[in-house]
Amino acid sequence: MSTPIAANIRSLTLALAVAFLVTSVGVSYWTILASDQLANDPFNPRLIAASHDRPRGAILDRSGAPLATSEKSTNGFVRSYKDQSLAQVVGYASVQFGLSGVEAAYAESLIGQDRADPISIWRARYLGERQAVGSVVLGIDEKIQKAAAVVDPQRQQLAMDQLNKAPDHPLLNRAAQGLYPPGSTFKVVTASAALESGFDPTNKLRVDDPYQPDRSWGDYFVRSASHAHGLFDMSDGFRLSENIYFAQVGLQIGGGKLAEYAKRFGVGATPKLDLPGAKGQLSQSGVLDRPTLVADTSYGQGELLVSPLQMALIYAAIGNGGVMPTPHYATEVRDAEGHVVRQVAPGPQGQVVSANTAKTLTTMLVGAVAGPGAFAFGAKIPGVDVAGKTGTAENRPGEAPHGWFVGFAPAQAPTVVVAVIVENAAEGGVTAAPLGGQVMRAALGK
Amino acid sequence: MPIAAGLTAIGLVLVQRLASDLLLQQLSWTIIAVGAFAATILIPRDLTALARFKWTWAFLGVLLLVAPLFPIIGREINGARIWIKVGPGSIEPWEAVKLLLVVFFAAYLEEYREVLSQSQRRIGPFPIPPIPYLVPIVAMWGIAMLVMVFEKDIGATALFFGIFLAMLFLATGEGFYAVLGLALLLVGGFVAYQLFGHVQARVDTWLRPFDDDLRFGAGYQLVQGLYALANGGLFGAGLGNGMPDRIPVVWSDFVFDAFAEETGFAGALALLALYLLFLYRGMLIALRAPTTFLQLLAAGLSFIIALQTLVIVGGNARLIPLTGITLPFVAYGGSSLVTNWMLVALLLRASEVSNRMRGGP
Repeated sequence: MSTPIAANIRSLTLALAVAFLVTSVGVSYWTILASDQLANDPFNPRLIAASHDRPRGAILDRSGAPLATSEKSTNGFVRSYKDQSLAQVVGYASVQFGLSGVEAAYAESLIGQDRADPISIWRARYLGERQAVGSVVLGIDEKIQKAAAVVDPQRQQLAMDQLNKAPDHPLLNRAAQGLYPPGSTFKVVTASAALESGFDPTNKLRVDDPYQPDRSWGDYFVRSASHAHGLFDMSDGFRLSENIYFAQVGLQIGGGKLAEYAKRFGVGATPKLDLPGAKGQLSQSGVLDRPTLVADTSYGQGELLVSPLQMALIYAAIGNGGVMPTPHYATEVRDAEGHVVRQVAPGPQGQVVSANTAKTLTTMLVGAVAGPGAFAFGAKIPGVDVAGKTGTAENRPGEAPHGWFVGFAPAQAPTVVVAVIVENAAEGGVTAAPLGGQVMRAALGK
Repeated sequence: MPIAAGLTAIGLVLVQRLASDLLLQQLSWTIIAVGAFAATILIPRDLTALARFKWTWAFLGVLLLVAPLFPIIGREINGARIWIKVGPGSIEPWEAVKLLLVVFFAAYLEEYREVLSQSQRRIGPFPIPPIPYLVPIVAMWGIAMLVMVFEKDIGATALFFGIFLAMLFLATGEGFYAVLGLALLLVGGFVAYQLFGHVQARVDTWLRPFDDDLRFGAGYQLVQGLYALANGGLFGAGLGNGMPDRIPVVWSDFVFDAFAEETGFAGALALLALYLLFLYRGMLIALRAPTTFLQLLAAGLSFIIALQTLVIVGGNARLIPLTGITLPFVAYGGSSLVTNWMLVALLLRASEVSNRMRGGP
């Protein structure tokens, strides 16, 4: 005899009821558990629409001067920006284009729901309370920016609607997201690897332009910028930026050691930054497995790519006794009354090289700015020891090379680190060094 | 009945909120639906008479299913060829087919259920169904499947399949059929995934809607729906305070997310509870029904509403791939509203028959 239909109806109903229960749990996941994460997704139109019917928090610079504010107009609140040259960092909040820059990274803080204040987040989410908005303070200093803006004055004249299409990508945050070959500024990494593997910096190496270690290189040579012939120690190598010297150092210590130190200094890893940053690369394969690649990487060419921020961090570590700091654009989040809700002050990332190595390198970098015949002479500041290094990075064949200057001051206890890049500069590093000096002077108030 | 009316009212409010230019249409459809409801209540004098014409229903069902494939009357909207043109508008015939299918299955299974479930032969624990008697149902189901493949509607296919399995289980009580059916569904789904681009797109969108290549393309609707759910939180943004209008075609595919955004998890739970209550009432009618046909009919009809709700809510909440099934009574859509109200009418008549037989009011 078959089961009575009544029993079948009961089991089917039970199965469906269980399915309803499972569905309810699924719905609770999205509405409650995943809710915060989705609510703060930069592509969520609600986040941006919120700026229309209530003010969005201000973004302030170091001195408290507003960089972005919300102003009331006839159709809701409108976001206005003080300085378009900062658009690459401050970003935008637009119903059409979404969020970018600080507007995206600190989106919750700017609508009064900073993560340091979970109670207000909870009240806004579950009770629908609208919190009075506070502000986000950036470490940006107007007078330093003015000094830096000289690098590219025409950038400010671009109208907003052209920004995304313009050929020179003015909205790209080049400092953290632009990738360039570092050229000679990378030699500090080669030198660090050498010093910590017991290489003697006073040991003189023979430099003869053009250079190849043996015949197996065929018609491949490392070239010297000054067509040098003679004996070089490490500080000569830095002062005169001698590629052949560093190529030989790199070949002596080997690709593995060089790769290890590039990794220690953060090349190829996303920087721990509060805004998006580029990773860069040591080489296309991630390792240095050919002698020519080891030689070229040793003086900052080969397949190396880094962001100016990464270079600045490498020099910051050297100036800081070998300890690499953690970069951040914002310094604090404030509530509507101006009280500090959260300090943005991440601790250092750790010891990258020993204090001794850092000290030795600093001395050589001071020589690279102030020594006889030094390439980076343009970065000198009267009365202050400046440590730094130029770079002339070949990018594409037939294009003018990029000019670099990376350095810090005062050399013994630095308060400022700069990384300057001039895209397709006529004279490479020689063009960049004075700009670096100018920015550091502004920062030091000299 | 009051549940369905309540749900329809919620539906009207939501249509007004989400697509006020469609309100007039939805109101007219509601009036037509009430008319169809009344007609179903009044016309067939004896509900069991439905069973006598089962082959007519089967034939009519097939005809309606195939109709959209014909030129002139058939229409393809949003990639699915499931519409036929009637006057100024278009209707989805499969909505009616789901009713016909249940009526046909109920009638057929009533007649042959003893044969089907009293199978003497077994291989281990697995019953071997007497093949000849299964042929008509399988054929009916096969036609439905094939047509749906050509008309590219995954949701309707899943619904038909579900009805088929549920009716078979109700009649025979063999859990084995249900398990086998679900296994077949998975295999069929996998094959369809390999063969058909539109199935593949649906599944990919379900698995990774937030990927950059999908979030602004095929996954846009789902992602916007999830934003809406998230914005709902526990108690909702409040009626009129959400932004569910950001979801494309929110009034038909995503009413559930829209409702959940404005009333929160609490509201969504209440809405689900209403459907559960509907299921409970429907199944109660089935349990009390005096004849096997009425039992199967009432249970099958209640099952449709429950399954549709589960499939679309599950799709809205990314528990299963999204399909274009409507949320019964609430979502915008004329054909759906009319047939669902006819469904309610059939349930009420089944209930009335059992009351009469018991001598109740």
